[in-house]
Amino acid sequence: MSASGTEPLGICCAGLSELQKQVLDDTPYVHFLGLKVSREDDGTTCYQLCFREEHIGNPLLRTFHGGILASFGEIVAALHVVEDPGMQQQPLCTSLTFDYLRPAFAGTIRAVPRIVRAGRRFIVVSVDIFLDKSHVSTGRFIYAR
Amino acid sequence: MTAQSEAANRYLTMAKTFFGTAHPLFNAFGIEIDEIGKGRAVMRMPSNVALSDRNGGLHRGVVVTLLDTNCGLAIFSRLGDMRPIATIDLRVDFIREAPPGEAVRAEVECYAVQGDIAYVKGKAVACSDDSLLASVSGSFAVGTLGPAFDATVTKGAE
Repeated sequence: MSASGTEPLGICCAGLSELQKQVLDDTPYVHFLGLKVSREDDGTTCYQLCFREEHIGNPLLRTFHGGILASFGEIVAALHVVEDPGMQQQPLCTSLTFDYLRPAFAGTIRAVPRIVRAGRRFIVVSVDIFLDKSHVSTGRFIYAR
Repeated sequence: MTAQSEAANRYLTMAKTFFGTAHPLFNAFGIEIDEIGKGRAVMRMPSNVALSDRNGGLHRGVVVTLLDTNCGLAIFSRLGDMRPIATIDLRVDFIREAPPGEAVRAEVECYAVQGDIAYVKGKAVACSDDSLLASVSGSFAVGTLGPAFDATVTKGAE
C-alpha cells in the first residue's frame, strides 16, 4: 500500500529519532516481521505490515497470527514512544493487553499508535490496527521509563 | 495403554501434525510440543538470532506468539477436539526479558469453558533455570469461523 505521497523512510532517513533508528536497526525480529515505516505528507508516521506466510495463524483461513498482531502493535508502540526526541533511552514494555476485534485476513495491515498518558515513571500507549478500513484489533501497552 | 493415555497420545499426534509440519510460522519459530492433555499444554522454542531483540534474547513479541499458540493447544486439549477457536483478548505481563541464547518454555492451562468462551492462564519461563519471564491470561471464542483444525488431520490419518 505504498500510495503516492508516502515516502519510505528507510533506516537512516531524516525524520526518525536516534532511538527509533536503533529499534529498527538493532532488532532482528523487526526485520523478520518485515515492518514498514513511512512518512505521510501531513508529517504523521505510517506503520505497515504486509502479510507473509510466516505470519499465518490459521492456515485454513489465512489470517494473521494473534501473536504477530500483538508483536506488530508492541513494536509500533515502542517506536511511537521514542519518537519523542526527549526520550533518553528505550523504555521497557512491562505489560500488554490486546483485543482481537475481527479476523485479520491476509493483506497489508496498518497500525495507528496514540500516547494515552506519558507520566514520570510510566507511559501508556494504545495502538489500533486496521486492515483497509476495518478495525481488526486494539492493544494497550505499558512502558516503564 | 489406558483409554485416557490413548486419547492423550491421539491429541499429541494430531497436534504435532498440525503444528509441526505444514505451519510456516511454527516452522520458522521451531516450536515443539512437550506435553498436552487435561486442558494443559507445554511448548518450547529454541533461541533464534533472527527472532531476537536488541539484547539477543527472544523478542517479547515472539514470547507472546508462543504463549498465544500454546493457549490454543491447551483449549484443544480441554475441548477434546480441534474445532476453530479465536483469541478474544490476551494480557501478557513481562517480568523479565529472555536472556540471550535462552530457549523458552510456555505452560498454559485452560481452566474453564463457559458457553462459547474458553479461559486460559499460563506463563513463559527460561528453559535453563525455570525462571519466570512472562505471565499470560486470556479468553478465546470457541466454534468460530472456518473448518475444524483436526478435519484434515483426522481425515489424513484414516
